[in-house]
Amino acid sequence: MALETPVEQATGRVPITVLALDGELDASNFMALIDQVRGLYEAGTRHLLLDLSGLQFMASSGLVALHSVVRLIHGEPPPDPEAGWGALHALGQDVSEGSTQAEVQLCGAQPAVERVLARTGLHRLFLSHPDRASAIAAF
Amino acid sequence: MLAPFRGLAPSLSIAAHDALGARVGGTSDEDAPAERQIRPIVAGPLAGGSVVAWGTAASTPLAIATVESLAIALGIAPTVGSGGIADVVAARRIEQELAHGRRLQRSFVSLVAPEVPGYELASHYEAAREVGGDFFDLFRMRRRGRPLSVVIADVSGKGIAAALLMAFSRPLLHAAVDNTTGPAEALERTNRILVQERRSSLFITALCATLTLPTGRLRLANAGHEPPLIVPGDGSPVVPVDVEGPLLGAFGSLGLFEAEVELGAGDVVLFYTDGVTDARSASGERFEEDRLLAAIEAARGGSGDGRGTAAGIVESIRAAVTAFQAGMAPADDITIVAIGRHRKEGRRGRDRRPPPAVEG
Repeated sequence: MALETPVEQATGRVPITVLALDGELDASNFMALIDQVRGLYEAGTRHLLLDLSGLQFMASSGLVALHSVVRLIHGEPPPDPEAGWGALHALGQDVSEGSTQAEVQLCGAQPAVERVLARTGLHRLFLSHPDRASAIAAF
Repeated sequence: MLAPFRGLAPSLSIAAHDALGARVGGTSDEDAPAERQIRPIVAGPLAGGSVVAWGTAASTPLAIATVESLAIALGIAPTVGSGGIADVVAARRIEQELAHGRRLQRSFVSLVAPEVPGYELASHYEAAREVGGDFFDLFRMRRRGRPLSVVIADVSGKGIAAALLMAFSRPLLHAAVDNTTGPAEALERTNRILVQERRSSLFITALCATLTLPTGRLRLANAGHEPPLIVPGDGSPVVPVDVEGPLLGAFGSLGLFEAEVELGAGDVVLFYTDGVTDARSASGERFEEDRLLAAIEAARGGSGDGRGTAAGIVESIRAAVTAFQAGMAPADDITIVAIGRHRKEGRRGRDRRPPPAVEG
C-alpha cells in the first residue's frame, strides 16, 4: 500500500527533476505527494518528470494528485480553493486547443495505470514517454 | 502528520471544541463563561471553499479549516497522533461523525428501485469505512413513455469533501438527464456546471444511460467511468459497451459520444464502480476484471441454462468480492447495478403490448 517517491535531478535542455512513484497511489497518500511537489516547486523545480515505471496502481484520488502536480509546477498556488478550479479550467482549454503543457511529463506508465489515465481522459494533459531516457531528451 | 482536529468541518466542531479546549486552555464546557467557550466563529457555505474557524468569543481564531482540508483530516482519522487524550477524544468524535456521514450518504443512494414493467432491477451498495463518493440513481424520466434512467458515479477522493460533492452532483445529474435530449448532453451540461460553479480539485466519473422500455433501446454516455458490461441472454460471452470519455470537472468541454445497444429478452446490462475491481485481498492483490467476469459466469452457470438473472449476477459479484476481501472492510465504496430484460413480458395488463422482436 505504501508509496515511495525518490527524487533525482537530470539535465536535458533544461534542468529536470525526476520524481519516481513506486508502489500504489491512492487516497491514503495522494495529499503527501501533492505536498512533496509543492516543496519541489518552492525549491526551484520548473520541469518535472514523473517516472511511473514502479507505479502498480492508481486510484481516482491519484488523478487529483496528478492534476494538482501540473498546477503546482505551473506556479498555480493550491490549495487555495478559490484559485484552483480556474487553473484547472485553463489547463483543459489548453488541451482542447491542442497545446499540451510540457512542464510535467510522464514516463514508464504500466498498463494498469495507463488504462486509468486513458479511461478518465487525464492522459490528454500529459506527454508520455516509454522510458526515462527518452523523456529527458524530450524536455 | 496533522493532528486530527486540524481541518474539521462545522459538523465536526464538537471534536474541535474538546481538542482545542485541552490544547489552548479553553474549555468545551457549556457552563463555562461565554468568552472562554470555544466554538465555530465563522462559517462559510458548505460547498467547496467554505471556511470555518474556531475560537473563543474574545480571541482571534485558533484554528481554521476549509472543506478541502477535511479530506486530509479524514484521511488520517482514525489514526491517533501523539497528542494524547485530546486527540483520542477528537478521533472518537470523528468516528461518530463519519458513521453519521455514512448513514446520510446511504440515504442519497437510490435504494428503492422504481417499478419497471418487463425488466428486473438489482443493485448492491456498500460504503467504505471512510465516507466514500459512490452514488447511483435509477428513476423513470418525465418524458413520454417514461424511459428508465440509470446514473452511476464515483467522486474521486474520500471523506466529507467527496460526500459533499456527491450530494451536490446527484441532483444536478438527475435534473440534467430529465431536461436534455440524451445522456451525452446531460453529462456535458453537468460538467459545465461543475466547472463553472465548483472550485475544488475533485473529479467525478459518471456513466449515464436511458432505456426505452418497449424496445429495450439503451443509450449510453460515459465520463471517465468503467464501461458497463452486457451479459447476453443467449449465453454468449460478456462484452463491454464501447463507450468512453473524459471525467467530469476537469475540462471545459468533454466531446462525449453516445453508444446504443438493444437489450433483448434475457439480456442483462451491468454497471459498477472501481470499488469492485480495485477491492484488495489480505495479500494485497486486486479483484480486477478477470474475477468480475468469473463471478458473472458463476451466476450464469448457477442458473442452469447459462443465462443468469440481474439479481443473481449482482449477488454473485457481491459474494465474490466479500470472500476476496476476507473480512476486511472495503477501502472504497462498492456499487453494482444490473438491469435485466425479462424473457416473457406482458403477463400483466400494464404492459399489454408485446415488445417487438429485437432486430439486429
